[in-house]
Amino acid sequence: MGRQWKRRSRAKRKEAFTSWLIMLPGLILMAFFVWEPLFESVRMSLYKTRNVELVRFIGLDNFISVTGKDDFLQALLNTFSYTFWSLLLGFALPVLLAMLIGETRRGKGFFRTAVYLPNMLPGLAVIILWSAFFSGEKSGVFNILLGQFGVPAQSYLTHADWVIPIIILIATWKGAGATALIYMAGMASISPELYEAAAIDGATVWQRIVHILLPAIKKLAGTLLILQIISVFQIMYEPMVLTKGGPDNASLSLMQLMWQYAFGGSMNYGKASAVAVIVTLILLVMTAVYSYFNRKESDWD
Amino acid sequence: MKTEQRTGVIRDYDMHSTSVKIGYGLILFLCVLMVILAVFPLLWVMLAGFKDLKEFVSSTSIFPQSFDPQSFATTWNQLGIAQNYLNSLLFVVGSVICALIFNGLLGYGLGILKPRGHKAVKRLILLSLLMPTTISIVPLFMNIQNLGLGNSFVPLWLSYGANAMYVILFVQFFESLPASIIEAGRIDGCSQLQTFFRIVLPLSKPICTVIAIFAVNAAWSDFLLPYLVLRGGSLQTVMVRLFVFSTEQTVNADTMMRSVVFSMIPPIILFFIFQKQLTENAVSVGIKG
Repeated sequence: MGRQWKRRSRAKRKEAFTSWLIMLPGLILMAFFVWEPLFESVRMSLYKTRNVELVRFIGLDNFISVTGKDDFLQALLNTFSYTFWSLLLGFALPVLLAMLIGETRRGKGFFRTAVYLPNMLPGLAVIILWSAFFSGEKSGVFNILLGQFGVPAQSYLTHADWVIPIIILIATWKGAGATALIYMAGMASISPELYEAAAIDGATVWQRIVHILLPAIKKLAGTLLILQIISVFQIMYEPMVLTKGGPDNASLSLMQLMWQYAFGGSMNYGKASAVAVIVTLILLVMTAVYSYFNRKESDWD
Repeated sequence: MKTEQRTGVIRDYDMHSTSVKIGYGLILFLCVLMVILAVFPLLWVMLAGFKDLKEFVSSTSIFPQSFDPQSFATTWNQLGIAQNYLNSLLFVVGSVICALIFNGLLGYGLGILKPRGHKAVKRLILLSLLMPTTISIVPLFMNIQNLGLGNSFVPLWLSYGANAMYVILFVQFFESLPASIIEAGRIDGCSQLQTFFRIVLPLSKPICTVIAIFAVNAAWSDFLLPYLVLRGGSLQTVMVRLFVFSTEQTVNADTMMRSVVFSMIPPIILFFIFQKQLTENAVSVGIKG
């Protein structure tokens, strides 16, 4: 009895060992590409660096020097501004698109395909493409189109107040359709009988939307909200390519500031990491706040 | 499809009311408008590609004066884009292979084998979903430099083998497979690895297709890490080239637009071949974008 049990447990241990061995290559890659760099950026932010070398431990000096500069405060405010505009322009739109497509009785597949198309295009190419639309020249596409209605040529990208909404518009053009498909799937799981029953009880279309459809996607919307905030908080190459952060740092984002410290000529990886750590901390706080409220809500349910 | 028509807030019964009919007309109008907005910029860039520099910066017409494909051919040859296409192809193929093998095996371990302690790893991977990789691009680049892997596809390929989103998708799919089939394989004496290749993999075509499509698209569009690793070298991909053009402003506006067209053609072809898989599976994968 005892020996048999022992043999079985040895076989089991061997099996567990093999299982870990199978996962090992993937785990090593996750460690190298995801986990270790995260820790490393925290460590590097506390060091004075020269090129790829850590010269000496300097505590929080990188943070003090980075946050003490004017461009940091500007980038921080801009990043919140990006988030604000992204929620204003980009959050409800996919819900609306999903509702519209969901109601069509014919051509649903066609509409779905069409709105998803921009999401497949390379983000970099999309930004360059739209830069021609917002070009201040008279050959800029919006200047051509609006010129037909007598609107004088505008220099869109040199307006400090316009650049962030414009960048968010472009990002929304690219991403809204894909998000709409996620909402459509959520809406498709609502049983049509609910609508039928409500209709028989005399509920108008509008009442059905407010009392059946919207509550059904509330949880999904919460998840997508936090994902949207996380992703827009890291906006970087869009302003880098479209405006170089200008005019006068009006569209400079935190991640772009990080990139400038690291690869903008000065190769100050320590300071770049300090910015990255600050962004990470802000994201962690936001995620924690979100999950706190999310938990409370599910307690009520 | 029959079932498709039945979802939606507006029921057949409502269509008798005039106001609902008007509303439905408005919905159709907005949907068509949406399609135009989604497609117009693409059509425009293709048209703009036919313009030469003088026409591009001065013409106030959407349409080019002539549709001579020579302008595209000239840009293609002048910039030597063919080489970049070849580089991109190499990068994409290696990335997809890595994405499938490494994430797939990790997903197999976490979703089916489930050895003791796998839950902690799973939690760690879920957590890394929230911490996107751009944030740690600086130390990652330093590590790559320190290992002497600069100017090589190897670190870029392998970076696709470490994608938390793909791992989670594999885990979810594997967990949905009937346990009895896998159990049967084990009783027949297959080792864990044999079970993977003989039983699990043949059943996993749908998830592999989805992840392959997304990895192709992601790798094709990728340029930040590729730029850092490949800049200055001979292995630059199409997107790295485009990024260099856009930051250094070494090419004219018309050439730039043609390069944009070149960079969009493969994803658009991919899109039209796999549109069904893409729009139907966007639900799970689209979150990451």
